[in-house]
Amino acid sequence: MKTAYIVAATRTPVGKGRGQFAQVRADTLLITALRGALAQVPMLDPEAIEDVVIGCAMPEGEQGLNIARSAAVLAGLPLSAGAMTVNRFCASGLSAIQMAAERIQLGSADLMIAGGVESMSRIPMMGRHPAPSPLIFETPFHTPLAWGMGATAENLAHQWNISRLEQDTVALESHQRALEAQHQGFFEAEITPVTLLQHFLDLNTGLTTPQERTWHQDEGPRADTSLEILARLKPAFHVKGSVTAGNSSQISDGAAALILASEEAVHHHGLTPLARVLGFSVKGVPPEIMGIGPVKAVPPLLSRHGISLAQLDWIELNEAFAAQVLAVQKNLAFDPVRLNPLGGAIALGHPLGASGAIRTTTLIHGLRRTNGRYGLVTLCVGMGQGIAGLFERV
Amino acid sequence: MAQIQRVAVLGAGVMGAQLAAHLVNLDIPVLLYDLPLDKGPTNGRVLQAIHGLKKMSPPPLVELERAGLIEVANYDDHLPRLSTCDLVIEAIGEQLAWKQALYARILPHLAPQGWLVSNTSGLSLEELSAALPEDLQTRFCGMHFFNPPRYMALVELIPTTRTDRDSITVLESFITTRLGKTVIHALDTPNFVANRIGVAATVITFHQAQNFGLSCDLVDDLTGPLLGRPRSATYRTADVVGLDILSHVISTTYTQAPDDPFRALFAPFPLLEGLISAGALGAKTGAGFYRKEGKTILRLDPMTRSYVPSGAKAEAGVKACLEVSLSQRLACLRASTHPQAQFLWAIHRDLFHYCALNLAYMAPSAREVDMALRLGFGWSLGPFEQWQLSGWSEVAAWIEEDRRAGKTLVDLPLPDWAMDPQRQVVHTPQGSWSAARATLSPRLSPPWLKRQHFPLRLLGEGGSTAASAGRTVAESEAARLWTLDEDILILTLRTKMNILGEVALEALDQALTEAEGHYRALVLWSPDPHFSAGGDLKGFIETYTRHGLTGLALAQERFQRVVQRLRCSAVPTVAALQGYALGGGCEVSLHCTRRVAYTETNLGMVEVNVGIFPGAGGLTEVARRAGLRALAAQSPLQVADYLQEDLTRILRCTVSQSAQEARSWGWLESGDVLVPHREELLHVALTQALALAESGYAPALPRLFPVGGVEGRAQMLAGLVNALQGGQISAHDFEIGRILATVACGGELPAGTLVNVDYLLGLERTHFGPLLATQKSRERIQSFLETGKAVRN
Repeated sequence: MKTAYIVAATRTPVGKGRGQFAQVRADTLLITALRGALAQVPMLDPEAIEDVVIGCAMPEGEQGLNIARSAAVLAGLPLSAGAMTVNRFCASGLSAIQMAAERIQLGSADLMIAGGVESMSRIPMMGRHPAPSPLIFETPFHTPLAWGMGATAENLAHQWNISRLEQDTVALESHQRALEAQHQGFFEAEITPVTLLQHFLDLNTGLTTPQERTWHQDEGPRADTSLEILARLKPAFHVKGSVTAGNSSQISDGAAALILASEEAVHHHGLTPLARVLGFSVKGVPPEIMGIGPVKAVPPLLSRHGISLAQLDWIELNEAFAAQVLAVQKNLAFDPVRLNPLGGAIALGHPLGASGAIRTTTLIHGLRRTNGRYGLVTLCVGMGQGIAGLFERV
Repeated sequence: MAQIQRVAVLGAGVMGAQLAAHLVNLDIPVLLYDLPLDKGPTNGRVLQAIHGLKKMSPPPLVELERAGLIEVANYDDHLPRLSTCDLVIEAIGEQLAWKQALYARILPHLAPQGWLVSNTSGLSLEELSAALPEDLQTRFCGMHFFNPPRYMALVELIPTTRTDRDSITVLESFITTRLGKTVIHALDTPNFVANRIGVAATVITFHQAQNFGLSCDLVDDLTGPLLGRPRSATYRTADVVGLDILSHVISTTYTQAPDDPFRALFAPFPLLEGLISAGALGAKTGAGFYRKEGKTILRLDPMTRSYVPSGAKAEAGVKACLEVSLSQRLACLRASTHPQAQFLWAIHRDLFHYCALNLAYMAPSAREVDMALRLGFGWSLGPFEQWQLSGWSEVAAWIEEDRRAGKTLVDLPLPDWAMDPQRQVVHTPQGSWSAARATLSPRLSPPWLKRQHFPLRLLGEGGSTAASAGRTVAESEAARLWTLDEDILILTLRTKMNILGEVALEALDQALTEAEGHYRALVLWSPDPHFSAGGDLKGFIETYTRHGLTGLALAQERFQRVVQRLRCSAVPTVAALQGYALGGGCEVSLHCTRRVAYTETNLGMVEVNVGIFPGAGGLTEVARRAGLRALAAQSPLQVADYLQEDLTRILRCTVSQSAQEARSWGWLESGDVLVPHREELLHVALTQALALAESGYAPALPRLFPVGGVEGRAQMLAGLVNALQGGQISAHDFEIGRILATVACGGELPAGTLVNVDYLLGLERTHFGPLLATQKSRERIQSFLETGKAVRN
């Protein structure tokens, strides 16, 4: 099996739902990320790119019609490069990386782009016309397939006996770490700013004014929160529950793109590998406790590669819900210092199909900055799955 | 003179902002002014006030997003815009100097023929008018609204000696037809009519409560619904109004009405002033005469000034006195030796005494006094009406007797006109007694009164009533079928809350036959405050108990058939909606050709509260409307998208808080008409019915429409599963929701199947009886019949 290297990794800033990117289309975000990734490797001839694989959780409307292909062409990639959109809900971005890497590992491609995109501001979670199968409701066993994500988090909190305070503490920590990382400028290397020409209407004069705007920073982290403020929020998913808007991941918009290369391509184009892709694992779990997915996906991946938990220098565990992070921690017990060192989705946001690629981007830049070696990205997935990807800095 | 089209409100205080809200509720363009802010956004004051409207209870806005329709303005930047306004309502702080300074500032900008009015509640209009240019003085007067203006029906117009009496009808007509309020004319005297008499009633009650040693909770029980007055009665009303405001109004009478023979009673009240200085201003500060602690309500103990448990109730014998006829009530109270009865007699006697001694100075006639208490304070009878009803000379003699015995609050004899042994009445069909002019003051007939077939009348005024007006075509215990003009047939229900039982439905059926045979249209209207509270639940249960599911299905089918006739009838059918149009009442109204709705209409299908669903065609109708909308959008497979919100409303028993809200749901349709004044509802309904008849009316031919199908039901179930999982609905609600989705989506058919109404009505019947027969539904019905409350078991 060949080696797949990551030679470029970037992402857009992440906007809050109906926030800074409310008027920015998903394809615009993806084009920005694709161009940003290509800009990191100016020596690379884009003609050599075989295929583009992009994750997206709600591929409809502006995100439909194979957004990967239209965005790739619009980003300036040659028409000769292919493009596909893949969907594994929240894991889509990581699955895209897996598919791209495995093509290289198999020897069927030398240069691939992988990434993810989601504008939850413009295409709501579940899409505009959710139409679950009537069969789901015919037996109780299948009904949890229709459960909202919040209900599954409440279920985890209940089963693993996780308190509201524990969850709020995780949420606060996420914000504090993210703010500190922003303060230190840790995200600068990985972010490609989004620039857009917007037209503003003055209703009094009827005149429109064009204005170019650029966004550099994630919008989610809040300096104005505290345990007291978090404690005041009402449960969002169960009248007597403990999962709130404050201890759940945010509704967000964002995109990421990574370039993967074979050993031959690295030498041929004079590229600098950032990390080596080691492998992936995917496991299904009951939909009603979907957040526990990483607990099933991580151990087989680590044992397959002979790596222990202690050897992991950086873990990006997507914070779908604080309750879910805590339930995973009660089983896997990651080193809390190395777990989400720059904060997670509760503070930074969770643009569904983009998150796997965004978390991987942060991991790779984080490992390089800290001279870490092994890094793990893991996410839980709606309807009951877990995914994990293992990387090694080179 | 030109109609009023555009309004400016000066001052974005509690009243100014709410007035602006009421205007945009009715689609009247309004500019809301206040001072500019030095720091922050220039219009910050107004923006803050508009933001506050969204949080007030009861809501001043019919829909929150209407807040954005209020045009924001400040005195520095936007005065020239005043020239576009036909009416400027000043509602700033109650300081003569402030008002005069503002008037001076706006004068150059006013429209040449525009009106300037002040919403002052305490200042002299003559004084305010004096500083204005002569021409404007003719178009200046007081226009006093009551808080909260959306809900209070009364507006006092206070003309000055220079106000043009002819053109003031333009204002009256605007306030009546466009704003939906009832105008009374007041004199330019302290507190005008309504607050003068209202606060006198309060002060008298305070004094007599003290004399008789009655606690505030007991007084409130005695002076609330038992007397035909609002539940908040005396002390709770004071708390809601705000004790500081009450104290201010009391002091206005004290300081500015030196000739009021009762003036001494209006001196600062130690108990009230004590509460105010302690910061207990009533509901807005959480404590006043009452304080709420968790779920218990405590009352003030005036002796210890501490809060103690409340809940004292009137004594049974005293209540018995209040339940005898209205005309015998006072005699019974006076004859009783029970202190509570004596107290009640005393507050009536003293208020009569007050009204008689002050009438000449405080109101144009006795009529305005009674109207003020009815419309401004929610009393079912004004003091003069009660006096007249109880026997004028007899009561006058009692008052004199008590006075001589030293029992009255003021030792002055009644005025001669009241003591006149010939006097029997103050309200007559010819007019009401004016003490100032010592004659009957004839009731005016302004042009807008023609729009009110049955305007509010005081006892003794006579005039036709809805019960006997026009020609009766047929009548039964449940309904009267009548006509005013021999063109349009009117059906007026007579059942309690206009409930639709078997007899009422028979009457509706007969009305349709009669209308198709001999008339041009049918109007469903009733003088009652509510259109209909729904179907006859008790009747359903009796039918089920006696005749089982088969009998119930037959009764249901009859109900469905009559309801369908409303839409298929050869003549147009018009529902005149007001107040509650709930359950079966809502279903009936949705099937009429057109709806004419008083703006304060509460539309809702609330059957789920009693464990059933809208089974008289209501569920079919929302499914039909959704199907047609999906078809129009060329999405016949997406019917469920158009159905979902309506099914959620039905499951949650959501009731619209206004006709405008019902229109935003699509339950009132674009051709339906909203009416701001309740008393004009019948006029508009008849006009609309005639307009439809004149149009060469034919009922729309029935069309096939697509259903959501099993896929649509799955879409609904996904929502229900999560609501159940989230603890938001009970297991039985889930079951009812499943049935709602099954019926409305067309059973087991695939999405997009074209169906007709009969097919869905059949599904309603298939599922209705079995649901009603479940134990949980029976529990809901039983609880509702026994306690009037819904249980969501």
